[in-house]
Amino acid sequence: MDIKTEFTELFHSRKFQYALLVIAFAAVVPLFMSEYAVGHVFTMMLIFAVYASSWNLLAYSGQGSLGHAAFLGIGGFSSALLAISSGVPPIVGLFIGGLFSAAIGLLIGLACVRLKAWFLGMVTFGFAIIIVAIVTQFDSVFHGVDGFATKTMVPRGLPLYYATLAIAASSIVVIFWVMKSKWGLAFKAIRENESEAKMVGINTGKYKLLAFVISTFFAGLAGGLYAQSQFLIQLDIFKIDNSFMPLIMAVIGGLGTIEGPLIGSIIIVSIEEFMPNIYPFLQPLGALFPGVSNVGPYLMFAGLGLFLILVVIFLPKGITSLLQKAYAYLREDTSKAKKIEET
Amino acid sequence: MVNKKILGLLVIVIVVVAIAVAVWQMTPAPSAEARNIKMGIVAGMQSVEGQDIERAAKLAIDEINAAGGIWVEEWHTKVKIDFVLVDTLHDGAGETAGPVTKAVTDDKVDILIGGATTGGTLNGQIPAIQNRVPFIIVGASLNLVTRRGSLPSDNPLYINDTEGMSYMFHYCTTISDYSETVTHFLAESVKPKIDAENSFDSSRKLRLAVIHRDDGYGKGVRDVTNSIIAEDSLPIEVVGTAAYAASATTYQSQLISIKEANPDAVYIAGFTADTAEIIKEGINDVGLKSLYIAVEICEDPQFYALLGETGSNQLLESKVATQWQGSTWYLPKVGTYVENYKTKWNGIISGMMGVDTYDAIYIYKNAVEQAKTLNKTNVKNALEATDMPQSLLIMENERITFSTGTNYHEILPKTFVEQLIWDSASGELKPFVVYPDTMPGISSFKQRDFDLPENYEPGSP
Amino acid sequence: MITTSGLIETLLWGIANGCIYILLATGLNIIFGVMKLVNFAHGQLLMVGAFVAYEVTKVAGLNPYLSILVAMASVALIGIALEKFAFRRIRGTDKLNEIFISLGLIYVFENVATLLWERNYNIRIPSPLAGLSLSLGEVAIGYDRILAMFVVIVILIGLVLLTKKTKIGLAMKATSQKRDTAMLMGINIGKVYIFTFALGAALAGAAGALYGILFPFNPVIGALPTIKAFAIIILGGLGSIPGAVIGGLLYGIAENTAVYLLGGIWQDAIAFALLIGVLVIRPTGLFGEKGE
Repeated sequence: MDIKTEFTELFHSRKFQYALLVIAFAAVVPLFMSEYAVGHVFTMMLIFAVYASSWNLLAYSGQGSLGHAAFLGIGGFSSALLAISSGVPPIVGLFIGGLFSAAIGLLIGLACVRLKAWFLGMVTFGFAIIIVAIVTQFDSVFHGVDGFATKTMVPRGLPLYYATLAIAASSIVVIFWVMKSKWGLAFKAIRENESEAKMVGINTGKYKLLAFVISTFFAGLAGGLYAQSQFLIQLDIFKIDNSFMPLIMAVIGGLGTIEGPLIGSIIIVSIEEFMPNIYPFLQPLGALFPGVSNVGPYLMFAGLGLFLILVVIFLPKGITSLLQKAYAYLREDTSKAKKIEET
Repeated sequence: MVNKKILGLLVIVIVVVAIAVAVWQMTPAPSAEARNIKMGIVAGMQSVEGQDIERAAKLAIDEINAAGGIWVEEWHTKVKIDFVLVDTLHDGAGETAGPVTKAVTDDKVDILIGGATTGGTLNGQIPAIQNRVPFIIVGASLNLVTRRGSLPSDNPLYINDTEGMSYMFHYCTTISDYSETVTHFLAESVKPKIDAENSFDSSRKLRLAVIHRDDGYGKGVRDVTNSIIAEDSLPIEVVGTAAYAASATTYQSQLISIKEANPDAVYIAGFTADTAEIIKEGINDVGLKSLYIAVEICEDPQFYALLGETGSNQLLESKVATQWQGSTWYLPKVGTYVENYKTKWNGIISGMMGVDTYDAIYIYKNAVEQAKTLNKTNVKNALEATDMPQSLLIMENERITFSTGTNYHEILPKTFVEQLIWDSASGELKPFVVYPDTMPGISSFKQRDFDLPENYEPGSP
Repeated sequence: MITTSGLIETLLWGIANGCIYILLATGLNIIFGVMKLVNFAHGQLLMVGAFVAYEVTKVAGLNPYLSILVAMASVALIGIALEKFAFRRIRGTDKLNEIFISLGLIYVFENVATLLWERNYNIRIPSPLAGLSLSLGEVAIGYDRILAMFVVIVILIGLVLLTKKTKIGLAMKATSQKRDTAMLMGINIGKVYIFTFALGAALAGAAGALYGILFPFNPVIGALPTIKAFAIIILGGLGSIPGAVIGGLLYGIAENTAVYLLGGIWQDAIAFALLIGVLVIRPTGLFGEKGE
């Protein structure tokens, strides 16, 4: 199918319309929200949507990285350091950070493409640990241990939010395009059965590497956005939680779909943001656990873990499949209603 | 003809009415704009230090509110303080900026008080600087927290905002202050004892090892120790150093490498939990039966409890003795504070961070009263001009003032060294001051002479 | 300062610490070998083992070395529950699902453990031998470490006897090599799986109980040992107990030596540096076997 027809179809598709709706929503609602909600909560949702999508893309090719935070951090540190010490405009630094992250991703990918799923998981996890050691060891270069303040591409507040929205939306569109393209088909084939894909003539090594590079580019980009919106960057960005979050978001939202990571990101960030308000109500449970002064966060994370397990067992296609079912159910009802009207 | 009596009466009435009106004008009704003060307490609730800060803050705030609040002249009324918790979890370097941002932009706090770790505070203060919110920092022993403009401009910690930085105040000791005390104590009290017990020649330098957190604070202590020894020409030689990551749970490898350097004493730049663990592992696991010195942030009952008998005869540098052993308190105010804290919090004894926090809140109260308004800029100026009698910390001139000039917005507290003595009857470690002999205003401060620990092994001759 | 006695001491420590990793890696090895299952939450089982041993020692006043048995039994039970309620349900589905479930389990274990035993500071299982050590010239090694090595040897011998001499052990071996044939021969695969998982978990529990005697621990120490255990398996080869032993020892020595020579930061990183290095050269591992 040629590009023109593809785009025309895309334009009229439901998905595109939804996407526009979401973007419009994301653009308008912040005008009514507090500075913290916009700068922190909404921005985090966008950043993690990109980050989770990048992980999602990699998983689409059958490669489940457990150390994606390494790339988030590489992108974050390189873009932040460039802006501070070399006077590179932060927005340019953002993309250079992404490219740098992709370059490292290429190296790691070369090592990983020949590995089976869980070996890859271990190596990527290990890489995230090594990166922490390296950044700490060369603290005089990276200043990661104590961290430092970052420069933003546009003033903080609404301008930074809209810039992030623009970059995030475009990134997700690009990732979507990749998934729907010929490359995406190759990824899917490799994921479903690598040996069969090889037999059909797909150069699995090349495609797996490609997925790696694209994925790490966007992870690095997300890292740069993260550094700018969070005021500062510090070793913390490499934490294990940051490696697991995109996974949780993509799986809960709907692995392999384009809207999955976004849904997952919105859900998880919302939970993390609004749970503290519920903590006081959970305090009575605190009597059961005398050692801990504030039981809230732990109950929340334990619950999240349980939620993930339940989703994997009972709802393997993620929340998006629930939404689709609900939507189909509603459509069926309305079409039934129409039929009744017509008779 | 006017009756003189009636005229006199009229004059008196007029005068009385005039006075009444004048008095009534002088005590106007409270302004309708009056509102409670939002005090942001920056405490890492998952750390020992943070919990101490929170408890002390609530003690001070409840005391002040019980008396009606703080008088704000502008509104002609006392206003109460609303406690706003800014929970920075472990006060780790990556955990502080978010909560402080929320406090500043969403909760719109009038003042921030707290901050325990250097790394955490250096980042947590950034939103406060940008939004011009006064921040009295009660921990963080690097004086960098008040003067980031004096760094080279390509240093990532550099901040080019003199006005914003002027809102930062540091009510705490710095690494130079307490490292000076530690090194001088080692030279004056410890070295002679070691030399005497082992018949060492007095020209032999004391062998010191430094084990430290691998961050600005730890490395700062290591470096400043070296420079103080050089500047003051002390008979000490730093024979080995080792760093450990903030996330480490065991320090056995670092201790082994220090042991190889044969030190006479080990200076530990860490926090409560890690310092206690290092001492225990050093003595029990690695066999480094040396003299260990902890930094004042460990002045917390949890430290004593964690150490247990292993800490017998080990040393703690401190600036407030919340577990003072003696029939009368060295500073009556400290005794009162400790008792009130104990009563309010079911017998818990305050630690150093709580002490700093309590004082900081009263310093803020004083500043608001002087500024006559809650306006942050006015309060900031009033804070700068603070001149109060000393409270829970011993000050060099017995008054609380913030310095100006190059060493700016700092205080001048006096620090001392305690030796921890094991009391087998109660099964607890108890601190006794071993250095210095006297303090401003306290003629006999030292409680006992320093003694080497049992089983102590000095470094090589 | 680097000295020969320091190096020797580091070596000895490395061997002792390596023993704990051997137990953990062997447990993982067995589960993967027989069930082809990846459980990234294995290190959390170690953590639970440590806490159980701690509680039993503290509450019942039991000798910490006897608590090891209690820890093994409890963690084995937990293992059985995990197999039944979580892993069995996704058997046969996408390989990545195991990773996702493991992740969920990690969050559940760590946070429930934190609720039960807070984590402001680390705890240690008190041993009657604490602080006592054997001196060999300039080098000293604690009695606890020597005893730990002894315990590991005993367990390993028991394991070898189990796999070679008992019916269930042989069934496990058969299943790991040719599952379908084993099924056809009448072996109850379901039972074998349950037993295997329980056994692997028990080994993790034992590793945890020993860990708790030698090192301070808290609810979140589980993550790194898991990866180190995987690294050892890759070094030593899947399904090979001798391989896991050698891998574990090598790893323990490498870790301690790296810290001694290069500094504390490299403690964890060295494992991965080794791992990545090996995998790049030989994607199937050092003693690579079929069925990675």
